[in-house]
Amino acid sequence: MQTQAASNTKLRRFSAYLWLTPFLAVFAVFLAYPMAYSFIISLKKVTWQTNLYEVFSDMRWVGLQNYRELLTRADFWWSLIATFLYMLLTIPLGIFLSLLLATLLSENLPGSRFFRSALFLPNILDMLVIGLVWKLIYSPDGLLDTAFMKLGIEYFHAKGFLGDARTALAAVAVAMVLKGCGFGMVLFMTALKNISPNIFEAADLDGLTWWQKFWYIRVPLVKPVILFLTVTGILGCLNAFTEFYIMTEGNPVMLFAGETVGATRVSGYLLYTRFTEMNYGSAAALSYFLLIFALIISYINWRFLRERSV
Amino acid sequence: MRRVKRVLLWISIAALASFALLPLFWMFVTALKKEGMGLSTQIIPRGGFSELYTVKNFTAILGDPDFPFFQFLLNSTIVAASTALLSTAICFMSAYAFARKNFPGKELIYSLLMASMMVPGMIFMVPQFALVAEFGWINTWQALVIPHTANVFGIFLLRQAIERIPKSLFEAAAVDGASDWQTMFLVIMPLASPVLVTLLLLTFLGQWSNFLWQLIVNTPDSPWITLPVGISLFKGQYSIAWEKMMAASVISVLPVLLLFLFLQRYIISGLTQGGVKE
Repeated sequence: MQTQAASNTKLRRFSAYLWLTPFLAVFAVFLAYPMAYSFIISLKKVTWQTNLYEVFSDMRWVGLQNYRELLTRADFWWSLIATFLYMLLTIPLGIFLSLLLATLLSENLPGSRFFRSALFLPNILDMLVIGLVWKLIYSPDGLLDTAFMKLGIEYFHAKGFLGDARTALAAVAVAMVLKGCGFGMVLFMTALKNISPNIFEAADLDGLTWWQKFWYIRVPLVKPVILFLTVTGILGCLNAFTEFYIMTEGNPVMLFAGETVGATRVSGYLLYTRFTEMNYGSAAALSYFLLIFALIISYINWRFLRERSV
Repeated sequence: MRRVKRVLLWISIAALASFALLPLFWMFVTALKKEGMGLSTQIIPRGGFSELYTVKNFTAILGDPDFPFFQFLLNSTIVAASTALLSTAICFMSAYAFARKNFPGKELIYSLLMASMMVPGMIFMVPQFALVAEFGWINTWQALVIPHTANVFGIFLLRQAIERIPKSLFEAAAVDGASDWQTMFLVIMPLASPVLVTLLLLTFLGQWSNFLWQLIVNTPDSPWITLPVGISLFKGQYSIAWEKMMAASVISVLPVLLLFLFLQRYIISGLTQGGVKE
């Protein structure tokens, strides 16, 4: 009897794994294994001798050459700088705008529910499609240029907003902030709801202005959401591709460290470029640099969270 | 004074909302413009309505022999819907085991899965493509669907939902001799249905606009070209036919708009779950 029961528990414990099997099988093949496989690819190179019908099994071992080559290229360094600039443009602006919107919506103005939905909606719309519409809006003679011309600003008329190396990245960033701010807004609204109204009554008694309440009460109390949006924002920028593919294709070109680089060729787009050139080894090496960067960010994030809970 | 302040606040939020909705509005306006008028910034026609506007772009796009947008629409629907169904099914099974069963290494496996969410998706592009190519899956349904069914966020969402269900219900089901499958379908499913719907919707929407992967596993002559890829191929061919591109964009956005109109409660709650956990 005893052994029967024991083997029964064993059997039941084992059966738990069966429930995980379908998920873990897909996870192992398409997510876990590729992490290692990517490293192997990053140590190889497609050469002119490679059989194009079996590219991946016929690449030549080159050791760390792909990594070394990346570190000597201006387009790699520029892609990191461009990605960093893209983060600086999108994340603070996005957080500020989301918090401002959430605060405005918590004032119980008429139509708040409609505004909440309207502002959230762009978030789930197709990135490619929204990017395409912005390309139209930003083009010379497009909606924005026409408006600026009416105001007497002719600077953007020649190349449009996306054709100028000085404005292209910022133009993409503004479009993406407007698309994404509804997400942060909803998070902030939930966080703001938890703030006790007593604090605001006290603040009113002390005669604080709307802006003072915004900076000194709301901002400190929603710090966890700010941290979350920063981390997801950084990951989003490391993944950024579609918006650049449809709006700029990495262009316009500019000079950096004596080489021509694409002004909006962020690291995600550079990775794709290497991929389409069949430079798979280099693309995989680049993706490992991105992984290291993401791990550092999540480590810092984890430290922050641990400090808060202590 | 207070009234004035409230009016000013209302105006600022209305202005910000119009900026956020500007692309959507402009897409619809441009999609209805006559041929060659795509770049025009005119909204109010000088003469009659038909001087500026037409619905021909939509019929032209859907009947285009080189860019069969109706087929693209069908492909996008099949890909997004089947990924949503398969993914939710396998996430549900795993979440059930994590929430209701004990086995060695449970929390270790769970935290490893959760940690993988911090890996930027771009990293998987090259090796996933290599695998799919080696399997001979280029231009097939399974290449578009299978790699995206292992959604860790789905397990997170469903495990929480199952653990919120009162223990006594599971005990009652066990006393009645319910099997695991019966527990899943008869106890959990009715109670966790909002979360299941949320996960189905989020996966559907995610794959509906998943452009990069659909671009690289399809060659231009693939029978599985989806809407975003179709639109980008069309742009490559007719980069100045803005009114037609916008008509194609409207076709791609309309299903999402409808889903949002009727089910926004589920979409918003699901997307923000990860952000506000207590």
